[in-house]
Amino acid sequence: MGVLEQKNNRNNREGFLGWLDPTRYGWERFSYWAQRLTGVFLLVYFVGHVYETSSLTSGKDAWNAMLELTQTVWGHLFLIMVIGTSTFHSVNGIRLIFTELGKGLGKPGRPDYPYYPSSLNRRQRSGIWIALILAAIAMLYGSNVLFSGE
Amino acid sequence: MSRNLILRESQIMKVHYITGVAALFVVAVHILMRLVVPYGSSLEYDHVIFNYHNIFYAVLLEVILVLVSIHGFNGLRVILLELRQSTRWENSVTAATIIAMIGLVIYGTRTIIIANGLGT
Repeated sequence: MGVLEQKNNRNNREGFLGWLDPTRYGWERFSYWAQRLTGVFLLVYFVGHVYETSSLTSGKDAWNAMLELTQTVWGHLFLIMVIGTSTFHSVNGIRLIFTELGKGLGKPGRPDYPYYPSSLNRRQRSGIWIALILAAIAMLYGSNVLFSGE
Repeated sequence: MSRNLILRESQIMKVHYITGVAALFVVAVHILMRLVVPYGSSLEYDHVIFNYHNIFYAVLLEVILVLVSIHGFNGLRVILLELRQSTRWENSVTAATIIAMIGLVIYGTRTIIIANGLGT
C-alpha cells in the first residue's frame, strides 16, 4: 500500500463514535469527563433546588404540592444520583487541587518504552478510585435514609 | 481602568478552588442539620420555616447560595470556553454566566428573606 493510499484509507478511523467510546479512555480522561459531567449535573440540580425551595414563600399548600412531586421513588433515585455525583465531584476536585499544586505528580524522568506517564502514578489512580468508592458508599447510605424515611 | 478590574484566569481558578472547598464544608453542615431529625419530618413545612427563622441557619443558606453559584457558574464558563476560542465567544460566555449567577443569587436570597419573615 502506497503512502497516498494509506493517507486516504479511513477504514481504521472511528470518527465521532470513537471519540465517544469510553472503553479506551485513560483514567485521567475518565476523571476529566466525569468531573465536568457531574459538575453540570449538580449545577442543574442546584438551580432546580433553589426553585423548588422557593415554593416555601407561597405557603404550606404550595410546599406540600412541591413535595408530592419530589418525594416519589423517581425523586429519591434522582437524589441518590445527586449524592453520588456530589461526593465524586468533591473528592475528585480535592485530588485536582492537590495536582494543581504539584502534589502527588511524581518526578519527571526520561521517556522510555512503554511510555507510562509519570504524572498518572499510583497516587493519582488511587485518588480516582477513592472518589468512586466514596461515591458508592454515600449512595448506599443515601438510599437507606431516603427509602427507610429515617 | 477596566483592565485592572478584570481578574486573570489563574486568579479566577483560585477563587474556583476556594469556593469549592468552602462550599464542601457549609453544604456538609446543611445536610447534617437535615439528618439530626428523621428525614420525613425534616421536610415538614413548619419545621423548615422554623429553621429559616434561625438567623445563623439563614446566613448559612445565603453563604451556600453565593459559594455554589460562583463555583457552579464559573465551572460552566470554563467548560464552555474549552469548546471554542474567540474574544466574542469568551466575552459572551463570561457575561451570560455572571448574569445567570447574579439572577440565581437574587432569586434564592428572596426566598431566604421571605421565609425568614414568615409566621413572625
